[in-house]
Amino acid sequence: MNKNTSASVLLNGILKENPVLVLILGTCPTLATTTTVDGAFGMGIAAMAVLICSNVFISLLRKVIPESMRIPCYIVIIAGFVTIVKMLVQAFLPDLYVTLGVYLDLITVNCIILGRAEMFANKNPVVASALDGIGMGLGFTLALTLMSTIREVFGAASFAGIAIPFLENYKIEFFTKAPGGLVVYGLLIALIYVVTHGRAPVKKSFSCEGCPNAGTCHGAACEKKGAES
Amino acid sequence: MKTKIRNLAVFVCICSVITLLLAVTNFITAPIIEENQNAAANQALMEVMPDAQGFEVVDISTLTLPATVTEVNKETSGLGYVIKLKTAGYGSDMIIMCGVTNDGVVTGAVCLSSNETLGKEKTYGENFKDKDAAGVESVDIITGATKTTEAYKNAIKDALNSVVILGGGSVDIRTEAEILADNLSAAFPDGEGSFEKMFMVEYLEGIDAVYTATNGKGFVFAVGEQFVGVDTDGTVVTEGVEDATLFTNALAVIKATVTEDIDLTSFPDLAKHVVSAKKTASGNFILETKGAGYGIKGGNEYHPASGEYIIVRVAVTPDMQILDCITVSEAETDGLGDACADESFYGRFAGKTVNDYKEIDAISGATLTTDGYLQAIERAFNAVKTLNGGAENE
Amino acid sequence: MDVKVLIVILLSAVFVDNYVLSRFLGICPFLGVSKKIDQAVGMGVAVTMVMLLATAVTWPIQYYVLNTLNLGYLQNIAFILVIATLVQILELLLKKFSPSLYKGLGVYLPLITTNCAVLGVTINNIIDGYNFLESMVSSLGCGLGFLLAMVLFSGLRSKINDSKVPAPFRGLAVTLIAASFISLAFMGFSGIVENIFA
Repeated sequence: MNKNTSASVLLNGILKENPVLVLILGTCPTLATTTTVDGAFGMGIAAMAVLICSNVFISLLRKVIPESMRIPCYIVIIAGFVTIVKMLVQAFLPDLYVTLGVYLDLITVNCIILGRAEMFANKNPVVASALDGIGMGLGFTLALTLMSTIREVFGAASFAGIAIPFLENYKIEFFTKAPGGLVVYGLLIALIYVVTHGRAPVKKSFSCEGCPNAGTCHGAACEKKGAES
Repeated sequence: MKTKIRNLAVFVCICSVITLLLAVTNFITAPIIEENQNAAANQALMEVMPDAQGFEVVDISTLTLPATVTEVNKETSGLGYVIKLKTAGYGSDMIIMCGVTNDGVVTGAVCLSSNETLGKEKTYGENFKDKDAAGVESVDIITGATKTTEAYKNAIKDALNSVVILGGGSVDIRTEAEILADNLSAAFPDGEGSFEKMFMVEYLEGIDAVYTATNGKGFVFAVGEQFVGVDTDGTVVTEGVEDATLFTNALAVIKATVTEDIDLTSFPDLAKHVVSAKKTASGNFILETKGAGYGIKGGNEYHPASGEYIIVRVAVTPDMQILDCITVSEAETDGLGDACADESFYGRFAGKTVNDYKEIDAISGATLTTDGYLQAIERAFNAVKTLNGGAENE
Repeated sequence: MDVKVLIVILLSAVFVDNYVLSRFLGICPFLGVSKKIDQAVGMGVAVTMVMLLATAVTWPIQYYVLNTLNLGYLQNIAFILVIATLVQILELLLKKFSPSLYKGLGVYLPLITTNCAVLGVTINNIIDGYNFLESMVSSLGCGLGFLLAMVLFSGLRSKINDSKVPAPFRGLAVTLIAASFISLAFMGFSGIVENIFA
């Protein structure tokens, strides 16, 4: 992790290490909440809020939290902020609360958040951690919004709930369904490969290499299995 | 050991701080969330009573309201009530929300959930807006969606009645069948509450309908709104009947009725469509005829082998007037054509003549059934013609 | 207890509302640990076990502790801690008492703490208002559905490994698109289970 300027920390999350499209993290909300732009944008902002708060909090406490107890501590902190965000959304944005449903609770187990705690916040000062949270959060929100735009425009002929008249008769409902989400995500990843001429660090497959949970499992699942076979 | 305790202490501290934060947030947001939820719940209520300030649920467990009423909400400033009703429409339950002012005017009605075929219930509620009881009565049933709209209209009437009851008044909330049963029992207590409508084979002067007590002790004659019980000896048991001759005469006619089977073997053409034929001493015919309905197999072919036809019993006078009509059997589609077995359908034929029997309303959504039914009646008329010596004309 | 209700809950959790394929819960291990069929089975069985245990613990916590003390807002923290603790205990127990089983399943256990399917099923059981038995059946269904999806997908992936994939699609892109086909196949179940007793 380079500790250059604040700007590079911020931009890092949005472009070079976009959590969704490059690091392939947080796949669950990426697929589940991108049927509408409203829901995807809301999920992005909610996750960003949790990410910034947890990053700042963990960075503040990085010298206090004991190494051996760090994962339970992180989980409690993250779950706490998720609940706070959930209560705020329920109080002030009830429509979004209904749209996101259980996925709002599941921000707790979004790999991006625990991943940034493990990979960045517990090693860096507060300001940098906050910037990292903003950058990663924006990257997450942007990717979700992009994907939901594709799915909503083609699947429901609307954008953020506003109908697009000339597409009305050409809805492809497939895009709003579960398989459509998987296809769009797959195509976007392929597109990133084409646009960057294969230079983006697209993972060869999905495994523990970049998985932030590797901290929890110490790569046990993949490495041991790999060694045996 | 020491580090372990320290670690645990840190963890407990973090948990406490987070819990505290949560408690504070909860303290701030809980009232707002509750308000939101109430607002959402009230939204449907406001829709049918736009001027309302707020609502409170009324405990209806101690009240006798129409069976369709599931929930009553009182408007807090005293405008009236919003009543939630559940009623059986055409093949599904409809949940209807209806706002009624204290003086019995509908402020709005919506159907919250339904699964009706035609979707007429979606907008039908608008017809009732700003109508009082008489106005509600005058709202038209939609042809082609009779069951749905009738159920809807009855639910609105139930809502109006409920408001009268809630206001301390009393309304007759019995169903038509219950009212009839009560009237019959009152007119002839010896009948022990069990009566059957009699199939009329003779013209009874001045009598609308006759009910027999199933225990065989007597009869109840209906004349307009009046019900008069007469036992088998001819004694009028209902009080307040000044002139009993009408009823004793009718009883005499019923008792004197003799029927004679007609042998159809000499009418081979008739035997195809006529199941049985009888003649009374006074010259009326009682015929059971077949008509090709829609049939359970969906074909409209006349199908004697499997019995997929409607059998109708008709009593006809020699001058071609229907005395009574009843459906003996049918194999029509559930929920559609099987309406031909309801009294509300076959009861319409009594009093019709050969010239106007086709003018009754068709069963909505079951044209083939109705056609088959009319065919059966037409065959009865033809049979009467033939048996009276005329030529069969089919 | 109406057995029909339980059967409908079970079948819809396995086929119609499959956690991975229609709700996208637990998609990370679905994509990550499905390269070989034995891995897929191991992960699936481990997830099913944790789901059942977690539900057996979280359901009473929700109804007898959080609800009675009016602490509903601690649900998320309580549930995730329960899951994390359970996973730890299960790992220790397996290691000690059944080394062979530990060899098969133990390696997948740490991954499950942050598996959103487990937290998802415990919270969903509360949201859906299931009683204890229904919750257990629904958890079993979700676990089996996960196992089924994993096993089916690992079969598909071995075919992909043998085929020539255009460069941009190599790796995750083609995996996702293949997952979409399985998901599409599962969509065919919708409407069947609800009407099974109709």
